[in-house]
Amino acid sequence: MKRGHLDVIAFNVGAVVIGLIISACMLLFMKINPAEVYSVAFLKIVTDKYTLGEVLVKSTPLIFTALAFAFTFKANLFNIGAQGQFYAGSLAAISLSLALGKVLPGWLLILLVLLATFAAGGLVGGLIGLAKAKCHANEFLVSMMSTYVVSALMDYLLRTALRETKGEYLQTDPISSNAYLPVILPGTRVHLGFAIAVASAIAVWVLLYKTELGFRIRAVGCNANAAELAGIRSRKIFVIAFLISGGLAGMAGLTEVNGVQHMLLQDFNSSIGSFGIGIAILANGNPIGVIFASLLFGFMNVMGTTMGRLPGLNIPSSIIDFIEGIVMICVIISYFLRHRYNNSQEKKKLKKEGAAA
Amino acid sequence: MTAPVVELKNVSKYFAKVIANKNVSFCAHEGEVVALLGENGAGKSTIMKILYGLYSADEGTILIRGQETVIHSPKDAMAHGIAMVQQHFSLVPTHTVTENIILGSARGRISLKDYDAKIRALAESYGFDIPVESRVGELAVGIQQKVEILKALYLNTKILILDEPTAVLTPQESENLMEFIKKYAAQGNTVIFITHKLKEVMEVADQIVVMRDGAVAGDLKCAETDEHALARLMMGQDLTPEAKPEDREFSDESTLLELKNITVRQKNAPPLLEDVSFRLHAGEIFGIAGVSGNGQDEVCEVICGSRRITEGELLYCGRSIAGDTIRQRIDAGIGYVPVDRYRDGLIMDMTLAENMMLKSSFSRRWVSRGLISQKVLGDYTSDIIREYQVKATGPEEIARSLSGGNQQKMVLAREIDVGQKMIVFNQPTRGLDMGAVDRIHKSMLEERRKGKGVLLISTELSEIFELSDRIAIMYKGRIMGIYRSGELSTEQIGLLMAGYTGKEAG
Repeated sequence: MKRGHLDVIAFNVGAVVIGLIISACMLLFMKINPAEVYSVAFLKIVTDKYTLGEVLVKSTPLIFTALAFAFTFKANLFNIGAQGQFYAGSLAAISLSLALGKVLPGWLLILLVLLATFAAGGLVGGLIGLAKAKCHANEFLVSMMSTYVVSALMDYLLRTALRETKGEYLQTDPISSNAYLPVILPGTRVHLGFAIAVASAIAVWVLLYKTELGFRIRAVGCNANAAELAGIRSRKIFVIAFLISGGLAGMAGLTEVNGVQHMLLQDFNSSIGSFGIGIAILANGNPIGVIFASLLFGFMNVMGTTMGRLPGLNIPSSIIDFIEGIVMICVIISYFLRHRYNNSQEKKKLKKEGAAA
Repeated sequence: MTAPVVELKNVSKYFAKVIANKNVSFCAHEGEVVALLGENGAGKSTIMKILYGLYSADEGTILIRGQETVIHSPKDAMAHGIAMVQQHFSLVPTHTVTENIILGSARGRISLKDYDAKIRALAESYGFDIPVESRVGELAVGIQQKVEILKALYLNTKILILDEPTAVLTPQESENLMEFIKKYAAQGNTVIFITHKLKEVMEVADQIVVMRDGAVAGDLKCAETDEHALARLMMGQDLTPEAKPEDREFSDESTLLELKNITVRQKNAPPLLEDVSFRLHAGEIFGIAGVSGNGQDEVCEVICGSRRITEGELLYCGRSIAGDTIRQRIDAGIGYVPVDRYRDGLIMDMTLAENMMLKSSFSRRWVSRGLISQKVLGDYTSDIIREYQVKATGPEEIARSLSGGNQQKMVLAREIDVGQKMIVFNQPTRGLDMGAVDRIHKSMLEERRKGKGVLLISTELSEIFELSDRIAIMYKGRIMGIYRSGELSTEQIGLLMAGYTGKEAG
């Protein structure tokens, strides 16, 4: 392993530990012994197969939304609307699964849903890219607002066409079990979606760093002027990058609808979009790094839930959100500290060489 | 002799990956012009930025008027009477000259009228003709530089640092600047003057500090040295003079590129190009001289396809290419070395290998089995690095970490490969050291020998004279005349560049 990678891991681990320590102070105020809570929750995760599996389940959609942000980030674009694209994918997933669930064999249906979620998210993303390319619209704002549009559309459909037959809650009927993503680790809820997420991250890495299209996307991201002069049409790249980005976020719809909830309901996973942004930044936009960063946040999430369920303590759920937030802030700060550390190391080395010369 | 105004003692500066300065020591006295001479990347600007408080020294001491001083910021520097005119100006283009000059020093209610008068008087006292009420963005570069200098003078500067001040000026403007420097120093002030141009140094400097690789290579009195000795110190070697082009004839059949009455208009402004016509032949170097900003960039943009023409015809190999995209023109074998390699030429945050495939990302030459072949691209880049003697660790080095000259060599190599038939060079040697300039000139001559058409745009007359078969002079978007090499004297070309017609230039 390269020394640089070790530094990255050391700094990230350090940041998580510091984040947990700060959170521990918060727990102390609530007269809860943090060491005890942490160790019980930690032990529960690492010893209980089901809970450990939950880490993978929780990190699955985060991988997709983080990839979505990282992908446009490479083209120097900001896709803040992964949440909306995820909803578009979810709508596609639930519609297809409800309509064809009893008609098609499971594998074919899931393949269709996979393509449909990518297409639905990609459509929303592509439109944002098009607005940017054709009208010079600010993609940051357009993508952010697009989330509200899609989520309003989802609410509307949940009240009308997709509403459950009982008509009681704002949710759909459950999908038939042959549309479920198969569980890949028996005894847990870990479904095929996790494998698809990891495969997608690898595919995105290959696309960005090993293909000409990826090269052109990164070229536009680093220096649009030079790319234009090299015959690369940056507007075309805007649309392509947003389309793929939206598609990636849309695929989280497959994993969440067909893998976890098996139905669609109001305020479905309402924070994976914003967490995706933080995770992508933590991974420095690297698709492989996104896998690990997502696992970290999946872990945090499960640890929070586990702590909340510890008997007799009554830890409120806001504390769990607080811990997640604090850890994320620490990790982001560590990213900048690491850069400073690297620079000062290089400088020391030079000083030594200079003295020797 | 009195104590020096500025004395640097063993100043060293380390950046993350390079030693920028190592044990730099020299002094400057009152009334003296000190030239800091050296190639690009020799550490001249860095040492001056340390003196001006933009960087802090890692080792060594600075003495101002005999007192050990630590300069933390430009504000500190100004308090000691030190001002620096950067190579890239720090002016607010949408503010007027007066507003720019008083920026940072005016307090409370500002009466612009009073300040205008004050600044005008100050300008006149130094013989500067500056419209103080105009917006800076509307002024020529030469005037903008005067505004920068005036900004320094307004703060009662005693020690004026100029970073490559003549890079953007016409010959006449440079001369004016030299006059000013002499006059200003004669009043008991000190000027430290960063440059890589030997001629200017010999003309204006009292003391010459030659820098190489971040260290002082020589500290000499101007009267006791000559250009040859300085060049040797700068380079560590002698330059081989290039062969003068012989007088050559070109037939109409060998025409490669023809611009016919090309005009580029813009809304509510004078045309960028007006009625521009010339031919470029295979095996010819066609030089376009002119002060920068007189339409040369637009000529390049029209040829490479990033700017549309309003009127006229653009013929390449006998076919109109006015409607072709940039990519089509690249495929047709037109190479282009842009003037600004940071903005247009390279992707600084990508590797050298990635930069080499920038213009050929649509061709399949780097691809095997659907993916970019790291080996094909890496081997190709390594060959280029060797062939062009680029100082780089390998194809995976990030472009940003190379020095300017080495970056330019990479652009050159790529464009020579792209430009199978013709190559446009827009100020290819601007800001480069002599070693790199030499290498680039040799490449141009080599490509001409191979029968390519070379369009050379330059503000350096010596370069145009040395290389071109024919020379056009541009002024305000028009071609003032096309001459054979050797037909014009430096003086005549200077007049044409300043807008005089051929007859007046005699």
